[in-house]
Amino acid sequence: MSSTDCPPTIIDEEAAYDAVVVGGSLAGCATAIQLGRAGLRVAVVEKQPDPGAYKRMCSHFVQASAVPTLERLGLLEPIEAAGGERPRVRIWTRWGWIEAPPERAARGVNLRRELLDPLVRGIAAETPGVEMMLGWSVERLLRENGDFAGVAARNREGEERELRARLTVGADGRDSRVAELSEVPVKTYPHNRFAYGGYFEGGAPANAPDATAWFLDPQWCAAFPTDNDLTFYAAMPTKDRLPEFKKEPEAALVRFLSEVPEAPPIRAGRAIEPVIGKIDMTNRMRKPVAPGLALIGDAALATDPLFGVGCGWAFQSSEWLAESVGPALQGNESLEQGLERYRRRHRHELGAHAFFIHDYATGRKLNPAERLMFSAAARDPKTAAIFDTFGTRQIRPQQAMPRMIPRAIAVNARHALAR
Amino acid sequence: MSGGETQLPVERGSLLAGGTRTRLLHAGPSEASEAVVCVHGNPGSADDWTGLIAAAASTGRRALSLDLPDFGEAIAPAGFEHSVLGYATWLGEALKELGVDRAHLVLHDFGGPIGLVWVAMNPDALASITLIDTGILPGYRWHSLARIWRTPVVGELFQATATRPAFRMLLNRNEPRGLPRDFVEAMYDHYDRRTRRAVLALYRDTDDPGAAAAELTGLLAPREIPALVIWGEEDAYLPSSYAERQRQAFPSAEVHVLPASGHWPFADAPETVERLLGEFLAGLPADSPAA
Repeated sequence: MSSTDCPPTIIDEEAAYDAVVVGGSLAGCATAIQLGRAGLRVAVVEKQPDPGAYKRMCSHFVQASAVPTLERLGLLEPIEAAGGERPRVRIWTRWGWIEAPPERAARGVNLRRELLDPLVRGIAAETPGVEMMLGWSVERLLRENGDFAGVAARNREGEERELRARLTVGADGRDSRVAELSEVPVKTYPHNRFAYGGYFEGGAPANAPDATAWFLDPQWCAAFPTDNDLTFYAAMPTKDRLPEFKKEPEAALVRFLSEVPEAPPIRAGRAIEPVIGKIDMTNRMRKPVAPGLALIGDAALATDPLFGVGCGWAFQSSEWLAESVGPALQGNESLEQGLERYRRRHRHELGAHAFFIHDYATGRKLNPAERLMFSAAARDPKTAAIFDTFGTRQIRPQQAMPRMIPRAIAVNARHALAR
Repeated sequence: MSGGETQLPVERGSLLAGGTRTRLLHAGPSEASEAVVCVHGNPGSADDWTGLIAAAASTGRRALSLDLPDFGEAIAPAGFEHSVLGYATWLGEALKELGVDRAHLVLHDFGGPIGLVWVAMNPDALASITLIDTGILPGYRWHSLARIWRTPVVGELFQATATRPAFRMLLNRNEPRGLPRDFVEAMYDHYDRRTRRAVLALYRDTDDPGAAAAELTGLLAPREIPALVIWGEEDAYLPSSYAERQRQAFPSAEVHVLPASGHWPFADAPETVERLLGEFLAGLPADSPAA
């Protein structure tokens, strides 16, 4: 849908853009949509030539925290029209199920990336001011007076173009080439689980379309019912379980999920495509800005997929960036000010979330404070409601803990006395 | 326990074997000479197996369990040897009494060493083996509770002070999901003076539960015995890392480590364990014609 609108051949070599966005996936396209709507000129450089390309290893879960962003971007309606589900989340713990009262439980979004990515890319391609360059890879970053100022890109025929821009945006994922070339500081945190997942048809899990996650502590697995009556099943065991999954991914996944408490009917289903895995998921947290340059989505923060935050934060960080640099790109302030505002916003919104996520990604079991909160949330609907608001990333840990911990202590004390 | 939900009735009877009158739980064709034989651990009794006997019998097989002497309601005769060898010998006598020539053993906990020693004495009589949180344990170091039982005076003191609430707390402390209340209560009901003495004797006689690992592996591995291994990942007594290692003795073993289970998966994940055992037995060749 997009490649015919703006074939790369018509791009003027001397063209200067307000922003060049590297990566035409969720975060990159969402940024392009917003900047384009603000009347700016944006080039999106995407190495996949196919407009229908999509990320394969992804639970595709969009947390409720990102739903307002999707609404503002005008994406929520088309997503629902394409068959997207609006799931709540239920969590199995050894203390019981954590289920917020239905009226208080937040709803995320579930649409397979196979449908979601082309949909978002198509809307970006149709946005005035946005030029999609599919099949182009970044060769190097351009610089002007020490600031980053666009990219040199090469297509599959070997043709190279310089795309000059006031703002360069890296939206190219966990292994971001832009981040690598710009040498922004990066912190890594070990990940001692691995992930396998796949789409199954037949046999919907209980409470579909709501998503279910099992915190087996330290093992983890989940069922995400999605469009077209499919279910994405995922397991994230600790690395000692890897050999059985490597040997027979589908058999191991089916076995794992069918042996958990109140198991979903995975054995009644059929995998519609091969079950695939990701073994190295080292958490990466990069400084999201450099002079003339910003990182968004996984390029800025590639964190544990266990909590299903990647897609949602891709949309949200694109919005924080667009809002932060908008005035500068309109010529009302310096870009430096805009980027600094984005950096602060990114850290403010996600810093503490990332801290807790990275700690649990070591493969450890729940710590005493987490056990306190999980157990109380399983026993008390009000605690479950706060837990849900936090788990769906609508509030930050600093907001969740003061509300949850005193209540959790009281709930557990009552529970102990009642026994 | 989940026995109440299964359709096949599990019958209760009794048996006199080796001077011990014991309870017998059984289902399926009672004349068959090939049977699924469940051997409990410590603390445990024939009752542990109600659900699994029904699951096994639903594959058309004879299935049974017994109280080991001085466990459950069985009273051992004077002079009974509370050792792995003593119990294995008694198991052999009981199976003879029951007319069982070939056994599909289902073993748990201390039932593992006992059953495996019986296998060493009767290797041709083993049709298949299901190991639940037990098996061949090379290099195993006794868990802390066993070390207490094995220490003179300390062990007696511990047994004397194991009140019902203490027992309940101690057991559940180590279980990731907690055990069903009825299961724990029944276990304590059977954990009487006689059982407590038997436990001390049995653990004190067993210096190294992994002692014969190499010999057993050498004996069993070439025989290609169909095997099912089920282990609770959170087992606090026998680490689940042993699950995969059972393949050394049973190369074709199907290994399932249940991620949210403890030492008694048949109590905290009965549906899964019953399904796995049912599928495993159903997948085996039909019983020999002599049955």
